[in-house]
Amino acid sequence: MESIRYEHLQETLYYEVMANGLHVYVLPKPGFQKTYATFATKYGSVDNHFQVEGQAEVKVPDGIAHFLEHKMFEEPTGDIFATFASHGASANAFTSFDQTVYLFSATENMNENIQTLVDFVQNPYFTDQNVNKEKGIIEQEINMYADNPDWRVYFGLIEAMYQKHPVHIDIAGTVQSINTITKETLYTCYNTFYHPSNMLLFVVGGVDPEQVISMVRSNQEQKNFEPQGPIHRFFEPEPEQVGEARREVKLSVSLPKCLFGFKETDVGLTGEPLLRRDTTTQLMMDLLFGSSTRLFQKLYDEDLISDSFGHDYISSPQYAFSAVGGDTKDPDQLLERIRQEVEAIMQKGFDASDFERARKKKIGGYLRMLNSPENIANEFTRQHFRGGDFFNMISLYETITLQDVNQRLKEHIRWDQLAVSLVVSP
Amino acid sequence: MNTVAFERGSRKQLRIHVLPTKRFKTFAISLYAGVPLREDTVTPVALTPFVLRRGTESYPETTQFREQLEHLYGAGFGFDVYKRGDYQIVQFRMDTINDSFVGGGEQQLLDRSFAFLGEVLTKPARENGHFKTPYVQAERETVRKKLESIVNDKMRYAAERCIEEMCKHEPYRLHPLGERKALPAIEPPELTATYENWLKEASMDLYVVGDTTLEEVEELVERHFNLERKTSSDYQAQKSVRGDEEPNTVIERLNIGQGKLNLGLRTSITYADDKYASALMYNGILGGYPHSKLFVNVREKESLAYYASSRYDGHKGIATVQSGIEIPNYEKAVTIIKQQLEEMKLGHITDLEMSQTKAMIRNLLKEMQDAAFEMIAYDFNRQLSGKERTSEELLAQIEQITKQDVREAAEQFRLDTIYFLRDEKEE
Repeated sequence: MESIRYEHLQETLYYEVMANGLHVYVLPKPGFQKTYATFATKYGSVDNHFQVEGQAEVKVPDGIAHFLEHKMFEEPTGDIFATFASHGASANAFTSFDQTVYLFSATENMNENIQTLVDFVQNPYFTDQNVNKEKGIIEQEINMYADNPDWRVYFGLIEAMYQKHPVHIDIAGTVQSINTITKETLYTCYNTFYHPSNMLLFVVGGVDPEQVISMVRSNQEQKNFEPQGPIHRFFEPEPEQVGEARREVKLSVSLPKCLFGFKETDVGLTGEPLLRRDTTTQLMMDLLFGSSTRLFQKLYDEDLISDSFGHDYISSPQYAFSAVGGDTKDPDQLLERIRQEVEAIMQKGFDASDFERARKKKIGGYLRMLNSPENIANEFTRQHFRGGDFFNMISLYETITLQDVNQRLKEHIRWDQLAVSLVVSP
Repeated sequence: MNTVAFERGSRKQLRIHVLPTKRFKTFAISLYAGVPLREDTVTPVALTPFVLRRGTESYPETTQFREQLEHLYGAGFGFDVYKRGDYQIVQFRMDTINDSFVGGGEQQLLDRSFAFLGEVLTKPARENGHFKTPYVQAERETVRKKLESIVNDKMRYAAERCIEEMCKHEPYRLHPLGERKALPAIEPPELTATYENWLKEASMDLYVVGDTTLEEVEELVERHFNLERKTSSDYQAQKSVRGDEEPNTVIERLNIGQGKLNLGLRTSITYADDKYASALMYNGILGGYPHSKLFVNVREKESLAYYASSRYDGHKGIATVQSGIEIPNYEKAVTIIKQQLEEMKLGHITDLEMSQTKAMIRNLLKEMQDAAFEMIAYDFNRQLSGKERTSEELLAQIEQITKQDVREAAEQFRLDTIYFLRDEKEE
């Protein structure tokens, strides 16, 4: 077991890589009642075409990573929620574009709960019957999202931007695609991506790191995983340009929803450079569109935006884009005004004092996040899979300069890379 | 559970509750102001915090106001307006970084946060003695848009419509953000008068969790809160409403794909009641968790839904059941849900359901101790209901609950309203 001390955060992180390749991290939080644990695989909705070195190339139906997540909760002995409940643990899971995360939080029976988490995820149980039964449940989940205008406008933006890359495919798939999923395809995906060498266990809370790590070590030593070669993921080349400049969905809403963003052309970054670009871009977006900016206040005063107006930057080594917007009575007027205002800012760049304030705000936001075991585990895992270090964020913020942010403004805001997604009433 | 109790004091008829602890990297500050829900005041009271967050004496422009928060290392600042029982509660929250993580105590972030909150609450930006007209006009629009946007989120819309139908003869039917039709008539002079009156009469509680003391917080209130309150007003515990004998069915149509089925139940058991722990167990076994009857029977056995759960509101004495289903499955889903309610009344509860639900509630109560705002929210129940019940006491009561207790509690829950939101197509 190794450890890293982060003095400025008053935190110590303990870790060990198991013989089978599993990464285990423990962050003790003295005085905390709760322990939160995540068991994550670097496998999400975009991983639909892949090959394990030495094995055949495989293409799988849309929505299968999410389907697999649902099915993991079923064991020969019944539903795993019941086992967690018996030990007072609240369990859940989520699937994103590039990872699937299983988790629990609990205040007692820590050994039992950590073992349950590791054991159920390492014990797939798929039958024709239980796979078919799940289709009705996921169909209702898909229908629920189809009625949700916020989800539709967000996904509409990705669909407008991306033509080939599977990030444009809904994480849950479609009713048609999930109906083609069988227990055999589930096992193929499971065996590829749930190998310990592709997974990370993170435990944070009132625990003893030595004890947790030795327990996981002996748990893993009792299981037999054949060594697996590297996983190759295949993605069709994605054109630089957006697929559609504007995409519109009809759904009854009180006001049109308008989300726009810029598709990044320079992709392929990983690790520290990716994290640095993410952070710099987020600072830049905050300086442009944040609620304390003059731009925000002008558009609010003009009744073109509301409190719902927000911004985000979503990235991975293969795709990256911004998403900005909210409810508006007049999407065209809003877009025109944004363009005027942003172009004026691009002429002169940001003020040094605004930059310093925005940076302080980001550092504060990061420290606040460290109060939450959930945020720590989720963000650490996400960064780790991309080669970044979540606990080094403050020094990263401290080295970003005004010049970097102004540079990012010019690089990212390219009107030929703009896509707009709208949800309007029929 | 090694909990540290809140230390209590008061200044200017404002109750102060402080939990000194070094466990967090921030100071969590929460201010609650509650008034009875009333048709004539609900809208102006709801509008008030929206106008207050536009500017203060020192930061009259909204951008200045927001920049100041960023100077405080992006202190979290927010407010919320909601109902608890028949009260309308306005809550302001701040979450400020403890100075020791950003280069030492000389920044006085707690003091500066109180200066800020004190201004927001007691020294708003004014012109001619009233709130600024452009702020009032803009925020009326903001509240109107918020009320109109509820329909966008069909889960939330169905939940609120179910309650509105169920409580149509009570103040509780009112939305905490008020009524759209009342907004246009609210002008700066009368809104300012409502605000000044609210500041004097609302029941107020201030909470701080973090590395501080009661004495320090009392001194900060003394210095930064420009309040003149003559009387301290307490919340009055409320009686639950009995409702109609026969359940009322409401079907509403909108342009949607998935049907939303919401059921409303009445109960005589409220927060202050000795049977409160039994009611929590009732809700937990019925639909609070993924091991509960609703999840297992509606979702896992019948594949009818993605979500199927229940919630219990002890302040109002109601429980709700919610699920999203295929529209033609309406009758089937209602039948299965009613069966679960009946099973509860018959006491068809397993030992495993009892022990799992106790373990889950125990976990919830213990986890609360790790989240400052959750500890605050739990303690505030005590102010609202007049019932002192620490989380340790509640936990001890939960452990004692028997199946017989849950069955008896089940008899106190009666189905009142079935609300179904469906598509516009003809059958």
